[in-house]
This record gives sequence, C-alpha cells and structure tokens, in this order.
Amino acid sequence: MDNNQKIIAKSADTAQTPGNPQNIKPERKRIEMPKRLTVSPSPHIKSPETTTTVMLDVILALVPALVWGVYIFGWRALAITLLSVATAVGFEAASQKLLHRPVTVRDLSAAVTGLLIALNLPVSVPLWMPVIGSFFAIVVVKQLFGGIGKNFVNPALAARVFLFSWAGEMTRFTAPGERVNSLAITLGDADIVASATPLASLKTGILPESSALDLFVGDTAGCIGEVSALLLVAGGIYLLARRTITWHIPTAYIATVALLTLVFARGDAPALDVMLREVFAGGLMLGAIYMATDYSTSPVTPRGRLLFGAGCGVITVLIRYFGSYPEGVSFAILIMNTLVWYIDKATMPRRFGGKANGK
Amino acid sequence: MAYTFKGGIHVEEHKNTSRRRIEPTVPPKTVAIPMVQHIGAPATPCVKKGDHVTVGQKIGVVPETALGCPIHSSVSGTVVDIVKKQIPSGAIVEHVIIENDMRNEKCPDNRPAGKSLQEITTEEIIELVREAGISGMGGAAFPTYAKIKSALGKVDKIIINCAECEPFITVNHRLLVEQPSTVINGIKILLKTLGVKEAYIGIEDNKPDAIKILTRLTAKSKMISVKTVKTKYPQGDERQLIYALTGREVPTGKLPADVGCVIFNPETCSSIYKAFAYGTPLTSRIVTVDGDCIRRPKNLLVPIGTSFADLIELCGGLVKEPKKIISGGPMMGAAQWDPTMPITKSTSAILVLSDKFGRKNNVAPVCIHCGRCINNCPMHLMPMYIAQFSMVNDLESADKYGAMSCVECGSCSYNCPGGVEIVQHIRVAKAAIRTEKSRLAALNEKK
Repeated sequence: MDNNQKIIAKSADTAQTPGNPQNIKPERKRIEMPKRLTVSPSPHIKSPETTTTVMLDVILALVPALVWGVYIFGWRALAITLLSVATAVGFEAASQKLLHRPVTVRDLSAAVTGLLIALNLPVSVPLWMPVIGSFFAIVVVKQLFGGIGKNFVNPALAARVFLFSWAGEMTRFTAPGERVNSLAITLGDADIVASATPLASLKTGILPESSALDLFVGDTAGCIGEVSALLLVAGGIYLLARRTITWHIPTAYIATVALLTLVFARGDAPALDVMLREVFAGGLMLGAIYMATDYSTSPVTPRGRLLFGAGCGVITVLIRYFGSYPEGVSFAILIMNTLVWYIDKATMPRRFGGKANGK
Repeated sequence: MAYTFKGGIHVEEHKNTSRRRIEPTVPPKTVAIPMVQHIGAPATPCVKKGDHVTVGQKIGVVPETALGCPIHSSVSGTVVDIVKKQIPSGAIVEHVIIENDMRNEKCPDNRPAGKSLQEITTEEIIELVREAGISGMGGAAFPTYAKIKSALGKVDKIIINCAECEPFITVNHRLLVEQPSTVINGIKILLKTLGVKEAYIGIEDNKPDAIKILTRLTAKSKMISVKTVKTKYPQGDERQLIYALTGREVPTGKLPADVGCVIFNPETCSSIYKAFAYGTPLTSRIVTVDGDCIRRPKNLLVPIGTSFADLIELCGGLVKEPKKIISGGPMMGAAQWDPTMPITKSTSAILVLSDKFGRKNNVAPVCIHCGRCINNCPMHLMPMYIAQFSMVNDLESADKYGAMSCVECGSCSYNCPGGVEIVQHIRVAKAAIRTEKSRLAALNEKK
C-alpha cells in the first residue's frame, strides 16, 4: 500500500479519540492483503453440519440400545458389533481403493451400516456372519451402485435379508440374561438356551408371556439392538431434536402398524394388549426410527415420507399376518425402498406461486 | 406474532455492527466511478480527461428512451482517466477516474424540487428520481424511476423491505435508527406519486430499536404501518416478504406488480427524499465493512467509487489473513479477486472473511438424499434434483422441476451436509435454459 493510504488509515484512527493521543493503541502487527483471494460461488458461509456429523448423531442415538444389548445378551453382542463395524469400514476403504474412488470412510456412513447390521443379528450367530453381512452391504449394495447416496435399498437391511440364507442361525434367539461364549466362532444348539420371540408367539395366536412393559423396556428375546423400545425411542427423540430425521416416517410407520393390529388383532386376547405387543416387539422401533429413515433410500418430501411410512406399516403387518416368517419389518422397508423415486416424483411440493403438483 | 413464510433457514446473524453509528469516511484520494451501476443500458461518459468536476455533477448519461439513469461525480476534482475495468458483479465496464481536490465543491445545477408535495406532478417526481440517478440500493439495482413508472396504476400496496436478512449487513438497520424521517418522507413521496393508500414497512424482529422508532413516528399516519417479520433467511426476498405481509403469492414468471405490490429499499426511499428536498443526486451510500479479518467493523457513509481497499484501511486494516473479500452479504454476495474494486450504488457491504467460514468437509461433494434443501427452499422446489439434472445437462428435466423459479438465495447450499454447491448447479442450468430458449426463439423467427 502506498503512503497516502497509510495517512488515510491513520487519520481515521485518530478521528476516534480526538485530542487524546495517549488513548491510541500502538498499531499491532499489520497483515497485508494476500496476492491471491479465493473466488467461489455464494453462499460464502455454511452450516456446521456435514455428512460426518449427521452419521455421528445416528451412532450416538444407537449407543444406548447397543449398551442394553450388551447388558442383556453379554459380551458376545459387543464382539459382533465391533467385528461388523470394523469389517464394514474395512470393506468400504478397500472397495473404494479398488474402484479408484476417493476413500470416504471418514464420513462414518460405513460405520453406521456396520452398526445397524450387528444390531439386526441374534447374539448366537457365528462370528463370520457379520463379516459376510458387511461385505454384502458395503461392496455389493453400496459401492457397486455408486457409493453413499446412490444405493437404492438400505445396505444393512439387504445384508440382513442376504444372511437369511442361513435361516437356522438367523432365527435362533437366546433368552434374555442368558450368557453365551463371547468369542467362540460358532455356537452349537447345545451351547445356548433358546427362547421364542414374542412375535413367534403372536404368530400362533397366543399372547406372549412377556408383558407389554417388559417388551417396552427390552427384557425379551430378539436381535441385539431391537429389544428395548424405550431406548430406541429415546435415541429417536435425540435425532428429532438434532433435526437429523423428521417425524414423518417413524410416526406414519408405527401409527399404521398400531392401527392395523388394533383393528385386526390376532388371537383372542383383548385387542389393545395385542396391539401394544405388536408395536413394542420385534424390529419395528429399530426399523421405523433408524432404518426406514435412511436418507438414500427414503423419500425427500414430507408427503412422500408419510406415504412411505404408511406403506412400510401395511406391508409389515401383511407379512407378520400372512408370511411364513414372524417378522416383516426388513422386507417391508426393502420393498418400499424400491419405490422411493416414484414417491418423490408423485409428491413434488406445490411450487411457490405455482399451481398444484409442481406445475 | 411476526409474519413469515414457509421454508427458509436460520443463519447465524453476525450483526456485529448493529450498534455502530454511520460514520462519514475520510475523503478518498481518487474515486473510480463505473458507468454501469444499474440494470439496463450502460451510461456513456459526458466528461473527458482533464475536466474539472464537482460533487453531484453528471458524468455519465443514458439516452432518454433507454432504461437506465445518469451517474454523478461523488467528489470534486479532476477527471484523470477513463478506463475499462471490472465491477464487483464481474462485468468489464468504463470507469471515470477522478482525483479528489478535497474542496468538496457542490454542483450548482442540483436544486431541490422547489414545489410542495401537493403541487408536484407524478411526471415531475419521476423525472426528478431519474435525474438524481437513483436505482435500487438493496442489490438488484433496478432504476427506481422505471420501477415507479411500471407500477403506476397497477399497485395498491407499497412495501418497504427493511428485513435485511443477510448476515453481517446492518446498513438499513442503522439508517432506520439514525435517519428514520428521511425514509418516512421518502415513503410519503412514493405514496403520493403512485396514488397508493397503504405502505407497509417490513422489519425483522432482530431490530427492536428500529421497530420502536418507526412505530412511534408512524403512529399518526393512516397510510404507513410497521410490520414485524420473523428473523429468517431469506425473509428479504421480495416474493417471500410480499407473501409474509399480504398473503399474496407472486405467480411463477410474474412480477410483484402483478399482485398489486411494489417493493422499495429504505435507503432508496431516503435517497428519493434527499433528491426532492435538497436536490442531491445519489453520490454516496452506507456500507457495512465487516468480517472476522477487519480490525474495527464499521458502518460508513461512502462516496460512490471509493475502493474496497481504502475502506478496509479506514476500518483499521486486517487482523487475520483473509481468504475472501465479498461484495454484499455472505449468502448472495459475490467474492472478489481484486481489493481495489469500487463501491457502486448497490454495494451494501464489504466482508473480509478468513478461512474460518465455509465448510470443512473432508470428503468429495455428494448428495446423500437427506432432503434438507427441499425443506428449506423458500420457493418449494426440489433443489437436489434440479442440481442433479444440471450436472448431467438434462435441461428439459431441470426446467420441468422449476429451475427458472429459483431465486438463488443459497439456502440449499448453506445447509447441504454433503457439501454440494446446489445453487451454483441450478444457476448453471438456468443460464443454459435461457440460452436454449432464446436460440429456439431465434430459430422460430427465421421460419
């Protein structure tokens, strides 16, 4: 800068404290204008939210359910989870390297997928199963379709359904509080105390032994992360407060299941008792709050999300009532996943200043 | 209950200068006055090298029939050169460079209207506004006389846009607190000119002192009322403000006048009043100089043509290594590569930002289909889909999904966790669609 500008600058500074030169602070070290400035499109400020913070929120919301799973099913639950998360992240990095893509494991999306796979497995599965699940979810469903945001079905659920190739292992549940060997690769039938899940009882038209409160708290048999409705809802409220998810899908999903199971209650027990057990048992809470709300595979419009949630609810109840398998959440969400693009298109918001349906 | 609209985002306000009084600047040694400071035809210099000019003397003229308004000297002194240079919006236009003789001589031609508001005719006011070189001071810079002309007989409400929803900027806020009567008198002139019975002053609720002052001053007026709107971005977008205050939606592809509204910036109103009462043309404006690199953020009354660098020096220079210099607000302003850019009639702020701002995403931009942009879009579009169509050059689909309705507020890019510059992709599509449409129109004409 030239001398004149310096004089201007000085006169401006002195103008602030006229007649009192002692008040002028000594000029601190000057910083010159750099030779190059960044020119980029607006906006020039951004919200602090990134994919990483969003995924971290999901992980934080799932931690209570995981801790409960470890408390009720023992250390093997933690071993399965760590294995699943580690291999999911590993497969993501390796496949991106192989496909010459930038490695994006730091966005934590692979960790979330790994965590969800583990929470969807019974504690007694052989330790190689989470590894196969991670491979199928990350490599086949996610990376081969283009990576984050491009997969058309939920990777964790697709992996779970793929693992039903080993139906025996996938449907063998231990009783709550029973401890199994933490690190044995495979567990034989003799190694565990098997227990029927509440949904299996409902399938036969008998009200499960566990009370609705037991199911709500999570003192029941089931997959590692699905048993405690209470903790899953608590995590869901955290996600809502952080605006990571919106209320539309979980509310529509759970409300649809509640309504259908109340009106068409199975068995002879009072309809309300049956309905509460249908809602709190099985994977409904985990599915509705954490899986159906997966960004890539759920609609983006509010109306679309309501429709999607309701569709998941209807299919879940249909499978539970008429399918051969007692639980239908995974299949319901996967089926609705394939319709997301059409739902988005059909529920386009009315443009500001435009006519109905986006015209 | 504050008025508002559906969509939009909450942005950290950064209104650091909301209590800083407007200070006059130390007169700049030279000014570079661009000949394009408004939408429309560029002005042609009517002075030549070596001429002596005075404050308020016309130095650029636009033909009577063309859209545009004259440009006046902001200092007294000598024309040292006429050169082609870049203006903050990126266009390269003629600049008249004037060396300041520091005598501040006023041009004798500039006289007040000389008639009372009751006597003066609409045509006379329009001529006065044109001759004073007044164009919209909020950013779009549409010549004000033309806006008044186009609204004549069509509108029943005047809306004064004091939302100032962009972070950092406080020029309207300070103007309303320090010189509220000039704004109100300007509104009275506009009411008379347009023959309208109602004017709303829309202010965001983060400016309680300005709301208080204006409410007091307009208490007796039956025509002017102050309306508080919610602090939300982009509340100051004209379509959103009209909707918030009147419930009217400007239809796609139409203008505010089509729903009976016309919008003015408060500083424009103040300039109209000053031209009417004192005969002073628009030769200076209030500018917020702020950003985390500025030692002492200030509001300054700046002669048009002063360089950004001079103003940065007046605010005590830099305290941090800057990454960007922005002309205007951080949401819609343009990043500059040259710190010697001149202030124009529509420059409301200079922001010098370090790399503290912007996203620190460590992965490549990718849409994760989260739907935030759809929830936030004030025009209720699906920005992520339009951006994706733009990326693969599918203009037909982009147009079908409403690319042309986008107001480019940037709410989508601001909130995108995947770091996609959504609004920029939409801008690209808009430009391509416009070119394509004019090409097709030209083809049709040939046939």
